[in-house]
Amino acid sequence: MKRKDTVKLISAEEMEFIIDKDAAMVSQTIGGFAEMELGEVTFPEISAVILEKICQYFYWALQYSRGKETEFHIEPELTLELMMAPNYLHT
Amino acid sequence: MSAQKKKAFQIEAFKHRVVVDPKYAEKTWKILEHAIHEIYNHNASGLSFEELYRNAYNMVLHKFGEKLYSGLVTTMTSHLKEISNSIEAAQGGLFLDELNRKWAEHNKALQMIRDILMYMDRTFIPNTHKTPVHELGLNLWRDVVIHFHAIQSRLQAILLENVRRERSGEVIDRGLMRSITKMLMDLGPSVYQDDFEKHFLEVSADFYRLESQEFIESCDCGEYLKKAERRLNEEIERVSHYLDTRSEVKITNVVETEMIESHMHRLVQMENSGLINMIVDEKFEDLGRMYCLFRQVSNGLVLIRDVMTSFIRDTGKQLITDPERLKDPVDFVQHLLDLKDKYDKIITSAFRNDKTFQNALNSSFEYFINLNSRSPEFISLFVDDKLRKGLRGVTEEDVELVLDKVMMLFRYLQEKDVFEKYYKQHLAKRLLSGKSVSDDAERSLIVKLKTECGYQFTSKLEGMFTDMKTSQDTMQGFHASHGSDIGDGPMLSVQVLTTGSWPTQPITTCNLPAEILGICEKFRNYYLGTHTGRRLSWQTNMGTADLKATFGKGQKHELNVSTYQMCVLMLFNDADRLSYKEIEQVTEIPTSDLKRCLQSLACVKGKNVLRKEPMSKDIADTDTFLFNDKYTSKFFKVKIGTVAAQRESEPENQETRQRVEEDRKPQIEAAIVRIMKARRVLDHNNIVAEVTKQLQSRFLPNPVVIKKRIESLIEREFLERDKGDRKLYRYLA
Repeated sequence: MKRKDTVKLISAEEMEFIIDKDAAMVSQTIGGFAEMELGEVTFPEISAVILEKICQYFYWALQYSRGKETEFHIEPELTLELMMAPNYLHT
Repeated sequence: MSAQKKKAFQIEAFKHRVVVDPKYAEKTWKILEHAIHEIYNHNASGLSFEELYRNAYNMVLHKFGEKLYSGLVTTMTSHLKEISNSIEAAQGGLFLDELNRKWAEHNKALQMIRDILMYMDRTFIPNTHKTPVHELGLNLWRDVVIHFHAIQSRLQAILLENVRRERSGEVIDRGLMRSITKMLMDLGPSVYQDDFEKHFLEVSADFYRLESQEFIESCDCGEYLKKAERRLNEEIERVSHYLDTRSEVKITNVVETEMIESHMHRLVQMENSGLINMIVDEKFEDLGRMYCLFRQVSNGLVLIRDVMTSFIRDTGKQLITDPERLKDPVDFVQHLLDLKDKYDKIITSAFRNDKTFQNALNSSFEYFINLNSRSPEFISLFVDDKLRKGLRGVTEEDVELVLDKVMMLFRYLQEKDVFEKYYKQHLAKRLLSGKSVSDDAERSLIVKLKTECGYQFTSKLEGMFTDMKTSQDTMQGFHASHGSDIGDGPMLSVQVLTTGSWPTQPITTCNLPAEILGICEKFRNYYLGTHTGRRLSWQTNMGTADLKATFGKGQKHELNVSTYQMCVLMLFNDADRLSYKEIEQVTEIPTSDLKRCLQSLACVKGKNVLRKEPMSKDIADTDTFLFNDKYTSKFFKVKIGTVAAQRESEPENQETRQRVEEDRKPQIEAAIVRIMKARRVLDHNNIVAEVTKQLQSRFLPNPVVIKKRIESLIEREFLERDKGDRKLYRYLA
């Protein structure tokens, strides 16, 4: 069941993450991709773990901008890879 | 990063593909190049953006940003070259259309390319200070397409042609024009200005220069202005529809310069339709239009104002010097008021109450009203007329209106003290003969004068009113105490005037008839009884009397006459016929007054209670007078008193002038002393300036007179001349 305002992000291992469009728009790059029309974007170079964290980040960013100021916790093992992805995604 | 000893770090190999292939860059670039081609060929939908983005990302990451960038430039440029060829090939009317379409497509393509190359935009470009992608796209468009000289000149020509067509009344595609100008503006303000606006303004200037020349030969002023206004509005509308808003000011400037400024003088001076004619014919709409249009042009309003001012001055001067007009002072002043009303209306309705115009109007009026030295007298006569009969039955508000108008004229007078003199005389006559229409109106005017000129100006006038009131009370007292005594004798009514307040009159001789003397004495005793230390003298030249007369066939009439006339008529109780000399001897009335009084008794039709031999109009020393038995009149009460205030004859006028000059001398001296006391030392020019400033609310002092007064003060040792500098004066305490 695909609801209207959602997009699907597909990781390297072909794991699918379905998130709200608003959340996805936090990344300007994803926002610009034409595939938004279709509703799904593939990231063959980003692993599922990282992609998952990124999705969490999107939601956290939305919450933060709406005033809920919490912390975003990052597991230290993920940090290095996690740094590359936002660079790629302009987040 | 907090060090966590729990888990050991595991740095895994980066999952991105490692560059091994040296031709990697070339391959990646090819992919991107292909993508760009597809985009320009409208095949974008088949591409995966993520992949392209990733490719671009990789290139930059692996230090091939330069290659990517230069490749982009080359590819885009070649595409644009193709595009400009196709645009150039477009025929005639389709040119703009084609250009517009391709521009829209380019924009879309640029957008997509930018999205793909966003990483490069973000990192590589700022580092190397190259132009960002979007801007690059615009610049390339500008250089390759627009500035391609075949296209550039054609574009300009077509745009200007369209404007020209629209100006001649054709309908053009405004939406298309809008897109094109917007494109030019997007490419940079200088592109819009250099490629279009500059030429637009030039061409427009030429166009309007020609058109205005045409119009001015064929139209009159009013029509021309209408056309100019219409064109101006057109241009403003044009800008709002398809030009940059900043062009509005520039194009309106052009229109105004060509249509208005170049022809300003000619328009204003146009025969039969220029400014003067509009004013005379009261064409408010045209005047209003002229005002609005000329306001935008430098010196436009100055021109209108100057022409109007000189016209008002000329008209005013004519009015002032017209001998016909001057014969009737009331009419004269009414004309002045009408003139002022007319111009006020013009300024309010057409010139938006512009203060500078009001000021010009005021100064013009001030100028010509003071050209005629008898203006103060005439204005006073006007007021006199109004307060005697003009304001009868008029509502309070309207009375105020008229008085305010009079005050306005009063303000223009430079010689306010002359006005005061005349006003006093006229007021005295009005009060004493009881001829004022409305006491309230009189008082209201006094109040206005007081507000304008201060207490000093009106103190004597108010004194006159007080005297009248006091006299009433005195009379009541007199009648209460002596009422029984009088019985059948003549009824006396006295007004006691304080000498200082009333205009000075020379005391004249006049022998009152015996019947009157009795009661006069009674009053004198009564008055002096209550007010010791005062001196009373009868002013026989200012009184009136009511006589009951019976004529030939037994008709009775009541005659209202002056005191002099009463003395003369009473003589005929004892004699039927008297010579001039006899009358003069008995009454001892001065010659000129006697002649005037006899004239009104014997020579005026309907009022000739006396007959004169011979029947001439003038009174000669040798005339004889008879009681006119045959006198008839429709009315029971007949008024034969001396007439209301007249404009003075020349000699009288000279006399009044002289008195005014005499009065001014002490005022000037007082001012000089006041100034010197404060300043101690002052030079001649400054004294003159200060004195003039102090006295200008009353009159304009003559510098020669001031000089004389200074010398008189030096003689009387109030001032002295400085030993060293002859022009310096010193105050002597």
